[in-house]
Amino acid sequence: MIAALGLLAGIVLGIVFQPDVPLGLEPYLPIAVVAALDAVFGGLRAYLDGIFDDKVFVVSFVSNVVIAAGIVYLGDKLGVGGQLSTGVIVVLGIRIFSNVAAIRRHLFHA
Amino acid sequence: MPDPTDRVNTPLLTLITQQSLDEDYQLVAERRAAENGGTPPHPRPARIAAVVVAAFGLLVTVAAVQTSANEGVQSASRQSLIGQIDASKNDVAHLQRRIVRLREHNLALQSQLDAVTSAQQDAATRNERLAGGSGFGPVSGPGVRITVDDSPTGERVVDRDLRPLVNGLWNAGAEAIAINGQRLTSRSAIRNSSAAIQVNSRPLSPPYVVQAIGDPLTLEANLMQTTGGLLFRDIATTLGYPWDMDTVDDLSLPAAPARLLRLSHAVEGTAEQNLHSLNSEKSEQKMEAQQ
Repeated sequence: MIAALGLLAGIVLGIVFQPDVPLGLEPYLPIAVVAALDAVFGGLRAYLDGIFDDKVFVVSFVSNVVIAAGIVYLGDKLGVGGQLSTGVIVVLGIRIFSNVAAIRRHLFHA
Repeated sequence: MPDPTDRVNTPLLTLITQQSLDEDYQLVAERRAAENGGTPPHPRPARIAAVVVAAFGLLVTVAAVQTSANEGVQSASRQSLIGQIDASKNDVAHLQRRIVRLREHNLALQSQLDAVTSAQQDAATRNERLAGGSGFGPVSGPGVRITVDDSPTGERVVDRDLRPLVNGLWNAGAEAIAINGQRLTSRSAIRNSSAAIQVNSRPLSPPYVVQAIGDPLTLEANLMQTTGGLLFRDIATTLGYPWDMDTVDDLSLPAAPARLLRLSHAVEGTAEQNLHSLNSEKSEQKMEAQQ
């Protein structure tokens, strides 16, 4: 409940203030969103499993975002361009899908 | 804890699927269960989690806003690209039509050029033929060569002696005649000026070589059947000119001097006036030459 309120508050804040992302950080934003999505779904699944923990959630969220952005940055610096971020998206996508599948099993028992 | 070798041997995709939930959740739950002596964990207020979720919401919103803001720019550039492509296609079509038009024009010009070229060739052929016939173009071919010299007794060959020979040659079918390299034309005259014979107003000196182009098989025989030919033979025999005639396979006759083509006119006015105008004309010609 309180988490849903937090989500709503974040969305409203984003819409109201519409902060401008600096041009240099723009390529890292989408991949950070995907990493955050992975952490959020992981937390949701843990919550439904009954093993949710605040600290683990926060740490996994922050580290996911930072590592994903760091990998993209590294790819830019190495000159491989978007190919490293493709790898990140594949791994995170698989994780998101299997987490969502577990959540679905919890919610719909199917 | 899973066996480390297990982790190494598991295929990567399977590993990712198995560990899609962070192991830390499991570990923390187990540790807590051990500390609390097996009692289930009491639910804690998830304030920090809510803050993090709020940050997530903010992140997603910012990303969405950013993307939609960029969309305008992208679609605008896309539109301008489409416009450029359309314009270029129009240009290409226009240029292609122009190519077709120019090709047709080229074809028309080509056929005109062909017509002009063939007309020019016809004219050149005709010019050559006329030049050969009229004596104002060089000709070559088989013919006869007649050499006449002054007699040893002192009798000199004069214009009256050569004229019957030339007339006889014309009558016998000669196509072109030259005396000592002076080509005979319709404006040429053979006449004596003091002692020397002049042809085309150029003095000749003996021996006189008359070259005539024509059929070498018939020219020689025909000549002795014409009045002029017979007359010449009589004169030569009577006055004792040494002469001989032989056929030549390849004679080359030069063209007559071009000054014969110029026509002279009488001018009106007194001599004094004409002298003045003549002088001015001459000075003009001089200036032209200098230029």
